[in-house]
Amino acid sequence: MTTLSHAPASSRPIPNPKKSLITKLNMGTGIVVGVIFCWGTYFAMKAGRDMTDSHNVNKVLLMSMFAWSIGFLIGIGAFIGPFRWLIGKDLTDEEQLYLAVDGQGWKRYFKYCTDHKVVGIQYLVGVMALLGVGGTMAMMIRTNLATPGSHFVTPVVYNSLVGLHGITMIVAMIIVATGPFGNYIMPIMIGAADMAFPRLNALSWWVLFTAVPVLCSAWFLGGIPTGWTAYAPLSDQAGPGMNAFVATIIIFAVSTAVAGMNITTTVVAMRAKGMKWNRVPIFVIGATISVALAIPAFPTFMVAMIQTGLDRTIATGFYDANVGGSGWLYANLFWIMGHPEVYVILIPGVAALMEIAPVFVRKPLFSYNAAIAGFAGIAGLSVLVWAHHMYMAGWMPSLNGPFMVTTEFISVPTGLLFLVLIGTLWRGRPWMKLPMLCVYAFIWNFLIGGITGIYLSDVPADNYLHGSMYVTAHFHYTLMGAALTGAIGGLAYWFPKMTGRMLNERGGYISFWFIQIGFNVLFLGMFIVGAEGQPRRVADYAHLYSHANLISTMGAYSVGIGMIILLWAIVHSWRSGKIAPMNPWGAKTLEWTVPYPVPLVNFDQPPVVTSDPYGYGRSAK
Amino acid sequence: MADHESELLAPTPGARVSTFLKRKDVSQTLLLWVFFTAVFVVLGLWAYPKWMPVVLSKQMQANEDIMIWFTVISAPIAGVVLSIAAKSFLNMHRGDTPPEDGVAIRTNGPVVIVWTATSVLFCIVAIVWGLVALNTESIAAATDAPKSLIVDVTGSQWVWSFYYPQQNIHTHTLNLPVNQPVTFNVMSADVNHSFWPVQLGVKIDANRLVTTVAHADPTATGPLDVKCAELCGLYHAYMETSGAVESPTDFNNWVSSIQATGGVQQ
Ligand code: HEM
Ligand SMILES: [Cu+2]
Ligand SMILES: [Cu+2]
Repeated sequence: MTTLSHAPASSRPIPNPKKSLITKLNMGTGIVVGVIFCWGTYFAMKAGRDMTDSHNVNKVLLMSMFAWSIGFLIGIGAFIGPFRWLIGKDLTDEEQLYLAVDGQGWKRYFKYCTDHKVVGIQYLVGVMALLGVGGTMAMMIRTNLATPGSHFVTPVVYNSLVGLHGITMIVAMIIVATGPFGNYIMPIMIGAADMAFPRLNALSWWVLFTAVPVLCSAWFLGGIPTGWTAYAPLSDQAGPGMNAFVATIIIFAVSTAVAGMNITTTVVAMRAKGMKWNRVPIFVIGATISVALAIPAFPTFMVAMIQTGLDRTIATGFYDANVGGSGWLYANLFWIMGHPEVYVILIPGVAALMEIAPVFVRKPLFSYNAAIAGFAGIAGLSVLVWAHHMYMAGWMPSLNGPFMVTTEFISVPTGLLFLVLIGTLWRGRPWMKLPMLCVYAFIWNFLIGGITGIYLSDVPADNYLHGSMYVTAHFHYTLMGAALTGAIGGLAYWFPKMTGRMLNERGGYISFWFIQIGFNVLFLGMFIVGAEGQPRRVADYAHLYSHANLISTMGAYSVGIGMIILLWAIVHSWRSGKIAPMNPWGAKTLEWTVPYPVPLVNFDQPPVVTSDPYGYGRSAK
Repeated sequence: MADHESELLAPTPGARVSTFLKRKDVSQTLLLWVFFTAVFVVLGLWAYPKWMPVVLSKQMQANEDIMIWFTVISAPIAGVVLSIAAKSFLNMHRGDTPPEDGVAIRTNGPVVIVWTATSVLFCIVAIVWGLVALNTESIAAATDAPKSLIVDVTGSQWVWSFYYPQQNIHTHTLNLPVNQPVTFNVMSADVNHSFWPVQLGVKIDANRLVTTVAHADPTATGPLDVKCAELCGLYHAYMETSGAVESPTDFNNWVSSIQATGGVQQ
């Protein structure tokens, strides 16, 4: 599809702006400065304050957390450029090249590196770490629920586990595809030399990085007892650990806004010559729609959290009915973010699988336009449905009908996504590699997630199901069964381009079956106890539910084993896997036309695109 | 694969359909469709009634009907998706080299239209069903209001308490007479809770300083579980109580026994 010469990676000398401060800064200096800022703020603010008053504790802790984040960014050199602007200068060319260049070896993964490929790998490792932490907590939750009686942990710890598992997973899943693949692969896919704003790219990653210790600090501050939804007034009442949640969300919202602007600008402005909108690979479309949807969504969450923070520090009472506030204000703000957010998570995963399916079936993507209509329709409707999470809140019973209508209409664009996939499979002969297996797992899981979503969106049925384990099973089918499966498919597919090696096949297959079978057993059990009437977020339950809960826990262990095998396969293959050819799957998108390691500016000559990348197949007779 | 590649499509639409149906891959897909559709129909008709608790009210009946019939209606659509996926799965190619290219079908206008129309139709059925159920429910709530038994429900960390103003009794179990509509006025003393008398199939959040209302029509007698469906802190899991829908005589006896102890349940 393109005219491109496969010249070897350019071997540039490493730029060495000797005297520049930039060469001295890295993650280590960031941590040092961050910690100094954090403790400095802590002790300075604590002095003279009455620390038996929880408002004061909240003030001190929140400010120390933000100080850590800002201190870290100063320490890693994020503000050197902006600071130079203030005095009418900028980074020198040498310095800019230093920040981007390949050839500093592994060290650049610990620096404020502006190369999108480095940022992509940083995100990949970060996502895996978050999923690992969240997954470990999931295993603890399921261990506690294996038998009635809450024998494994106390209810305090249990509630914290649920909240931390939830928010850790949500954060991980928001970046699971757009982080690694959106940064590493997407610019190459559209034929760009880098992202539109390389420094913002580094910023988005390192800002996100600073949120991780903040989130982890919740453990030592008494946990997050509110679930990931952090409903007020429970959050007003919650202990110091809640500050970690507030700070994490505010920091994370900055990161996603920066990343979202960067990705959208890149796709709009930096596509290769000839890549008209109808030739853009579907993954790029999906990732762009997803981050564009996040741009309005996350600030709402940020506002909600700023108000929680103010309620907790200076008793503003936004959510406190005693002084005229309302918890419904919080619930509305939260879900105005929350529902779009589930599609922010879902769409890139689906889009990755739509990229994969044509390659392995060796047929064109069925109805590219329907795919775009599906994504756009979902994104458009998703901002109009938030109160389906509040049918039983009592907030506005008269709006339940209208919200039910908008919600159920989402099944139309969602149906288009299924049509595109089965249309691509129709009469096909799929090459059954791991990425393709993920397409099948996705279809099954998302079908279950989608159908159960229709019951939940129906007000009378939700009367019964709301707040039950049924809901938990439903959203794991969509978030994990669909979106995470899509991301694993994407990883298996792009692994050769990101690491230069093939993912170990046997490890991949074994982990796939452990994960997918375990997953279905796990959440089938949760559907059953939910239908039987077990509420969600409970540390303990009646004997009636014990069989299905035990089965669920068995399924969870199978998922856990599968994930460990997958992790092993990834680490092992990354270090010593089979060297990958340039285009192992015979795909037609641009990323497969560049060698590994991908040269600094990706292409030696800017590519020219003359068709969409789905030109597979013999013509039908 | 090769068998249907070479055949020419017959000239008339009727003949085209019948040649299409005679294709081996198509008939196999159809068989799979029958199988998957049947699985979902059975799941709806058998599994939900088995899993869901005993129906003690009109509302619970309406919920269970939705669970059963939405599963049944969605079965043929799920069947299409799964049969096509399964057929292609069974046709898989393994090995280290890609298979030869398939047929270049870029889109198919009529298929896209029929599929979209079907999902719109399905959607409308679900919406109309839901709206009718919702409407029936709110009309019933309005007309039943005068003859309703009133129960004021208060959620506090981590207990439910009930006050029956017409009988002037305070209780911690929820007993109700069968065949009399009941209105719950729900409030919280602290954080949000969600009042869930499970077998009645209704649910409403308890908020601080605001009263929310739920309405139910008990139609059968039996034990009742009351739970909290909104995370409300440490002992949320244990915020449960019991009760019963019982015959009017039993209910009256229960009320008088409480009135005998000063109007407060012991
Ligand atoms: C091994 C895999 C996983 C297992 C065993 C698991 C299990 C659980 C369990 C048992 C709960 C508590 C259920 C409740 O009482 O409501 C839960 C909550 C939750 N999980 Fe997972 N989960 C897994 C993966 C994921 C993934 C990949 C996501 C992705 C977003 C996720 C998101 C959530 C969320 C948002 C909650 C709700 C937390 C809350 O109620 O505040 N989980 N999970
Ligand atoms: Cu939603
Ligand atoms: Cu509760």
